[in-house]
Amino acid sequence: MFPRPIQDASPRAQLLYKIALPVSLIIWLLPMIAIVATAGRSLSDLNYGNYWGVPTEWAFIENFSSVFGSSSIGNYLLNSVIITIPSIIGALFLSTLAGAGLALYKFRGRFVILALFIAGNFVPFQILMIPVRQLTLDLGIYDTYWGVILFQIAFQTGFCTFFMRNFIADLPFELVEAARAEGVSEWKILIHVIVPLVRPALAALAVLQFTFIWNDFFWPLILIQSDELRPITLGLTTLKGQYISSFNLLAAGSLIAALPPVMMFFAMQRHFIAGLTLGASKG
Amino acid sequence: MKYFRTTVCALALAAVATTANARDLVMNANTSDPAQKQAMEDLIADFEAAYPDIDVKFNLYDHEAFKVAMRNFLVSDAPDLITWNAGNRMKVFVDLGLLEDVSDVWEAEGLYEKMPAVVGASSVDGKQYGVPYAYYAWGFYYRQDLFDQAGITETPTTWEEFLDVGAKLNAAGITPVTIGTKNLWPAAGWFDFLNLRVNGVDFHAELMDGKVKYTDERVKNVFAKWAELVEADFFVENHPAYSFQEALPFMNQGDAAMYLLAPFIVSMFPEDVRAKVEWFPFPIIDEAVGIYEDAPTDSFHIPVNAKNKDDARLFLAFAAQADNQTKTAGTLDMLPPNVNASVKDDRFAKGGFAQLSKADGIMQFYDRDTDPALAKVGMQGFQEFLQNPDRIDQILERIEAERARIYGPL
Repeated sequence: MFPRPIQDASPRAQLLYKIALPVSLIIWLLPMIAIVATAGRSLSDLNYGNYWGVPTEWAFIENFSSVFGSSSIGNYLLNSVIITIPSIIGALFLSTLAGAGLALYKFRGRFVILALFIAGNFVPFQILMIPVRQLTLDLGIYDTYWGVILFQIAFQTGFCTFFMRNFIADLPFELVEAARAEGVSEWKILIHVIVPLVRPALAALAVLQFTFIWNDFFWPLILIQSDELRPITLGLTTLKGQYISSFNLLAAGSLIAALPPVMMFFAMQRHFIAGLTLGASKG
Repeated sequence: MKYFRTTVCALALAAVATTANARDLVMNANTSDPAQKQAMEDLIADFEAAYPDIDVKFNLYDHEAFKVAMRNFLVSDAPDLITWNAGNRMKVFVDLGLLEDVSDVWEAEGLYEKMPAVVGASSVDGKQYGVPYAYYAWGFYYRQDLFDQAGITETPTTWEEFLDVGAKLNAAGITPVTIGTKNLWPAAGWFDFLNLRVNGVDFHAELMDGKVKYTDERVKNVFAKWAELVEADFFVENHPAYSFQEALPFMNQGDAAMYLLAPFIVSMFPEDVRAKVEWFPFPIIDEAVGIYEDAPTDSFHIPVNAKNKDDARLFLAFAAQADNQTKTAGTLDMLPPNVNASVKDDRFAKGGFAQLSKADGIMQFYDRDTDPALAKVGMQGFQEFLQNPDRIDQILERIEAERARIYGPL
């Protein structure tokens, strides 16, 4: 049952499709619509319970400017970038090395090592809270960017290694053998043969990791205290009150926080799909 | 890429370097309501103006994140000051040895005389572990125009009058009381007041300390009173679906007339509604029982592991001064604990202040007075009771089992 183009279907089915598609789209997007609509309302509208109706006044500009005015959201965004980018680079770098090692060399215990990497993903990260906090304290990197960056690299490398190892293991091994026969060093094989071939996988991983690390709330909460080091996920909570929340500002702030991962996805979309489906259609 | 890494390193180093200044005062706070944020920022600005050498670093958290972060930072890299609540919530951390004894500040500033109302709540075993900056009264916020519409001329002072008000409002097609129990604690306010009015403060304190069974006949009497309200359709429907803030539109839209709540709600009434909102205290149920009130107290504390305790003490003394308390409590719509400070000139603050001045005894609040784990189970029970009053016996047995687990069997 391969999906056929809708043009081949009967007119009734086409009509049904044309009605059902926008309806289901709207239902599916309702939460997003609600956030956008809330970001454009005044607080008094929300207090009157006008959540879905037409706002009495459009307050997009006021809300966004007061998000920027009442919290240092620009600073939080910058911190998110400072934490996310090195974490991705570190995790991809280490996992490419580890993945290549596990895929290309037949040594004893390699399966156990791979299993260890995978097992790391099954550890609920909350139970690491106290040991990791203690470790960063002992290393003197508590309440710095490095505490979060190093942890993200360490934790994400497990999944990335699993992903990269499988990609590299799928590559035709003859390429490596041919290079070795030519006397190319192992290091150069990695750089000139393997890495160019796994580029789609790296791109896909980069997008995934970007969303994981950018959206992470827990580790910055545990490892960072200072307001000037906080990433956007943590910074947004300052808009949430102990009793009272300005939901309109919270919605506006969330939209700002969600933009970078979305833009990242669209920018890398082609690679992302290619990376995920690479090898999937192999017979 | 190289350039980028250097930048990152430089930024990280710069961040480390800036936290090393000797007269930095780091304050972690959970005061993230818009008014609370404003009040803290003003207080800090005034403090920095008075002590230009000291640079206050203010790290704001929302309440839930603060509760998680607090358990981490208090035992590791503690700030110099935190905001927290007096009473049992403070005692939990005092018992763990995480909060500093600040009796010397109370002594030096003469706060025992200046803040008589909050000495008890700030003390554990006769020593003070925090300095309160605001406290507030609970009571009924009600729509005067809806009361007029239902033909109610006077606010109720007794239980019979209260039931009568409810009946009149219901007859006029107005729900007497709005409540959102998704947050659980709004229901606890009702339990506190009913228990204080029916059984008095000594019994309530014993119950909070786990010294009385929840299956006690006197607790059942409280729920019998509460059940009268539930059966008389006092409360909005589907209240477990609403947070306390989401239940407010019923009152703003004119569908519900009263809300038992604290002053932080005042700023959430839109201008035109606020003009019609008035305040009255919880009615008397038993004449023989004195007037006892809930007055939650918010305070500053110094963690034991703080680095700059000297300047933190300066801040506590500064925050306790009458003029600063007037300003802070005024921004918060709350009451200043310092007797020399003046209460904000508005009907809610004045009304709450008058009621607390009359009070024969003061408690904090259910989830601040009793063990946190018991409070959770208890409040879930209250929420269920409001939906199914018939299940009260099972509910009380469940709460009692949790009480016995925490405080031991009686």
